[in-house]
Amino acid sequence: MIGVVAYLIVLAGIKLVVIARGVPIYLGSPESFAFVVMAPLVSTFTYFLAVFTFGLDGDLAARQSMFPARRFTLPVTTTALAGWPMLYGSAAIILLWLATRTLALWPSGIAVPSIWPALLAASLLAWTQALTWMPYPLPGLRIIVTVLWLGTIDTTALIALHFNARESFMLGILAPQIPLAYIVARFAIARARCGEVPDWRGAFASLTRTGLPAPEGGRFRSPASAQAWFEWRRYGRSLPAWVAILLPFELVLLWAAGDSRSLVFTILIAVLLTPPFIAMFAAAAVSTSSPDAGDSYGITPFVATRPLTTAELVGAKLKMAIRSTVVAWLLILISIPIALDLSGTLALVLDRWHGVRLFMGMPRAVVLLLVALAGCIALTWTQLVQSLYIGLTGRASLIKASVFLVLGFFFVFGPFFEWISDSGRLGELWSALPLILAVLAAAKMTAAVWIGVRLYQKRLVSDRTLVTGAAVWCVTVFTLYGVLVWLLDTPHIPHYLLMLIAILTIPLVRLSAAPVALAWNRHR
Amino acid sequence: MTQVSAPVIDVTKLTRRFDSRTALDAVTLSIPRGAVYGLVGANGAGKTTLIKHILGLLRAQSGSVRVFGLDPVADPVGVLSRIGYLSEENDLPGWMRVDELIRYSRAFHPAWDDEYAEELGQSFALEPGAKIKTLSKGQKARVGILIALAYRPDLLVLDEPSSGLDPIVRRDILGAIIRTIAHEGRTVLFSSHLLEEVEQVADHVTMINKGKIVLSAPLAEIREAHTVGGRVPSLDEIFIARVGMSAAAASES
Repeated sequence: MIGVVAYLIVLAGIKLVVIARGVPIYLGSPESFAFVVMAPLVSTFTYFLAVFTFGLDGDLAARQSMFPARRFTLPVTTTALAGWPMLYGSAAIILLWLATRTLALWPSGIAVPSIWPALLAASLLAWTQALTWMPYPLPGLRIIVTVLWLGTIDTTALIALHFNARESFMLGILAPQIPLAYIVARFAIARARCGEVPDWRGAFASLTRTGLPAPEGGRFRSPASAQAWFEWRRYGRSLPAWVAILLPFELVLLWAAGDSRSLVFTILIAVLLTPPFIAMFAAAAVSTSSPDAGDSYGITPFVATRPLTTAELVGAKLKMAIRSTVVAWLLILISIPIALDLSGTLALVLDRWHGVRLFMGMPRAVVLLLVALAGCIALTWTQLVQSLYIGLTGRASLIKASVFLVLGFFFVFGPFFEWISDSGRLGELWSALPLILAVLAAAKMTAAVWIGVRLYQKRLVSDRTLVTGAAVWCVTVFTLYGVLVWLLDTPHIPHYLLMLIAILTIPLVRLSAAPVALAWNRHR
Repeated sequence: MTQVSAPVIDVTKLTRRFDSRTALDAVTLSIPRGAVYGLVGANGAGKTTLIKHILGLLRAQSGSVRVFGLDPVADPVGVLSRIGYLSEENDLPGWMRVDELIRYSRAFHPAWDDEYAEELGQSFALEPGAKIKTLSKGQKARVGILIALAYRPDLLVLDEPSSGLDPIVRRDILGAIIRTIAHEGRTVLFSSHLLEEVEQVADHVTMINKGKIVLSAPLAEIREAHTVGGRVPSLDEIFIARVGMSAAAASES
């Protein structure tokens, strides 16, 4: 709320300055229109989503309903529990649209629709409420179901718009959404009110149990290995389980692809991007210090009082992420050749591989393949662990602010890139790229030094670990640089640019900051 | 000449504020080795805040905390590996089975005594294959006591362990404290607002009210000092008298 209000105040201030100076405002350009109308509208809508779903205090990745449990004891019917927040939310969203439509300066020549955007926004809110209040059988399922279903509604509306559908048609699609969402929400709250939380974790546990450390009948080698097992059991199985669930649905499309080379490669790319994509969602749970606790962001005394250093607690999470990534990728690497062979599409892939080999030469083609594969695997692991430095702080305000910042970045990035592209400044951007990368690399190294000093001063890691970590990072950067120089042997790309890319690619600051974040949480 | 051993817990002028509220106000406390300390106070008096400082879960804003001569924030391994801890919250991971929790906890403590753990498990009638989340509150408390005691910690810290539990479980917890005392040199810090329990086991009582220590002395001395006309008052009566005096003094100032 503070963020939205601050944004609106800053925006109002800018508008006042612009008006006071008598500078004309051209809303014809997408950038200024986005800045003046769409960004405040979208950020207020996002805030309404969070407020009316009670999502600001809940854990999205948890299986339990996000509806506040204390309200279950109110002497009101389940119908009222589901109905009133939905009614208030829908009313607020519809009023937001009507106010925007009436008061905002719209570019001339645009026929601004009257009702359906309000209904679309209200439908999205109602479904978000229903799906976040629903108890789920698996951790993280809420995020995936919600993203897919909201994406479906949004895509349907966009397709209808693309074909210039009439307002009456849009109303026909969107009007039933709110009552449907209400029925689902009522069902969800009725289940949650009775404490019904389905649990399928046991069924999927067997998928990922084999070959992984378990204490059955034996002793752990060390406290650190016990904690790694704890983390694996708590968070590690989500990613492989989700990949195992999605993989058959993706690979079965190979049978439908037939001889279409582009379709086969599109499916393969989708399969290869599945682990990093799922890891983005799984990371929300991994970063959470304690999903069992009332304060899901703080660390539980049980974990905080383990006789382990803070670095060992973080190390257990990193090891868990490595295991999780390896298992997920084993599933991918085993199933792809089998599916290609059985679907009869292997020949297409081998043919393309033959072409690449002829074009680049065998060694470069093999190295390129391995680098691409290693990149995908590393990206999966990075997705799992890169937000630890925020999540492990245990500060709800910081975590929510970081989500808001990331969303804000995406809101700004699109129009900014479009502006660069439309104004013919892509060449300038390309020329400035080395400078931009150099500034980013310098910022990264400065932050790394600051984190290193904090780690040293607070004795969060041993001197040996600090030196070894720095050495490993340097070796990895130089290895990647060497591979890039060898692969991209062209005078058009200067070597220092490749070095900057290598520096920026290999994770350092966010990983190093994780022990500092956890120490801040553990010793408040 | 008798050699005086260093205190197990040494808290000096510890002050802690949460925003504008002072949770601990220049608290000084020294607990010698082998003592059974009862920490008593009303809800919100600062008992849990003090215990969290001893465990290193809170960093001293001013003053110092030393446990076994170590700073629990700077050296969590050195301190926590010698402490058995059971809290009122009892936040044991619900997804673990009892036997998994025992195996997991054993990994952190080389001195873990399997026979003792087995004995405790049997006396508490714990089902090894049961998931923690399916256990009753009393059974969870018993599991918590088992993993806090099975490595015979040098210091046992119990933060309102019997709050909301039935008399049988409370008896088990008191029994566990007595077992710990039976091992020479082990120290117990027992926080509770159930004063009759503290009376049964503590040999030293520290009363805390609104973040300040209002009384800290051996139990026998406290009773003797408050005896009026040959009648020995209960700890409840002493506590009410002390806290009442403290509240009156605060309102006067």
